[in-house]
Amino acid sequence: MLWLILGMAIVTFLPRFLPMAFLTRWVMPERVKRGLDYIPIGILSSIVFPILFTSGGGKVEIQAQYLFAAIPVFVFAWKVRSLWGSVVLGMAIYWGLGFVL
Amino acid sequence: MDNHPFREGIKAALPIVLGYLPVGMAFGVLALKAGLSPFEVGLMSLLVYAGASQFIAVDMLSKGIVWFPIVLTTLLINLRHLLMSSTFSLYLKNTRLAVLGLISAQLTDESFALATSNTSKISNRPKYLLGLQMTSHIAWIAGSVGGALFGGLINHEGFGLPFALTALFICLLVLQVKSPIHLWVMGALGVFSIFLKGILPGNWYIFLSALVALGIGMVMNPKARNSKTQDCD
Repeated sequence: MLWLILGMAIVTFLPRFLPMAFLTRWVMPERVKRGLDYIPIGILSSIVFPILFTSGGGKVEIQAQYLFAAIPVFVFAWKVRSLWGSVVLGMAIYWGLGFVL
Repeated sequence: MDNHPFREGIKAALPIVLGYLPVGMAFGVLALKAGLSPFEVGLMSLLVYAGASQFIAVDMLSKGIVWFPIVLTTLLINLRHLLMSSTFSLYLKNTRLAVLGLISAQLTDESFALATSNTSKISNRPKYLLGLQMTSHIAWIAGSVGGALFGGLINHEGFGLPFALTALFICLLVLQVKSPIHLWVMGALGVFSIFLKGILPGNWYIFLSALVALGIGMVMNPKARNSKTQDCD
């Protein structure tokens, strides 16, 4: 088990470390910087939407409890821009939906 | 911005802590069933610290699969961190390599998304990142060991807890929409990733979507980058 954990630790660490180690020492062209600037929205879009619209197995199908809790959180986050508010509101609605759906 | 970036980072991590504790507990419960001791659960959360791959690893273990396929799967799942690590490098130009090592060991989807929601806070402020990520990491370890020890006693699926991280991601996604172009990118990649998830194994859809976003950013009009960052708390 120890070897498994160490093996997993190494292959997890390297992709996290190597780009940071090399790219911080490299004068990056403006174009590359612009590209890297879009990675957060790419990552977040691809995390959020599949949670709402696909089953665990990858089939396209609406996840009602997640989707109905997500819509008000989208609106709230857009208007109020509060992380805590979004998390608490989302949890409360999701919890409530659990009794209805 | 206060003068104690480390303390500021700790505070900023609290929404992640709320999300990590119950998910960590769920992991601890499953890992115990798959035959790990509470010590091994804690060690894995300390050294590997990657939610998705830890869940998949214990699932494979419980099916009797041994180490090589698990390590390979872990590598493939975590290749998406290549892109997050590249993005962080924009803001850590003057940071020592040892500190970069510590920051990268604790890089997760959640800490990355939170940190990049306001880049003025991470720009040459490695202590803020360390505070943010160490606090999140401790919550993950505490949650998973707690789950392994007391999993049966605490309800970690009540009170809407399974939705905490999703709500966090939604808010962080909204904060990334800094221009109409970002809105289009979000819509397009949202649809793209929904269909991609059904076709590709594991979470390659995340890696590929991030790669497409990188490409879009590179061909974009330079003016589009100078959008102002928005604060959030």
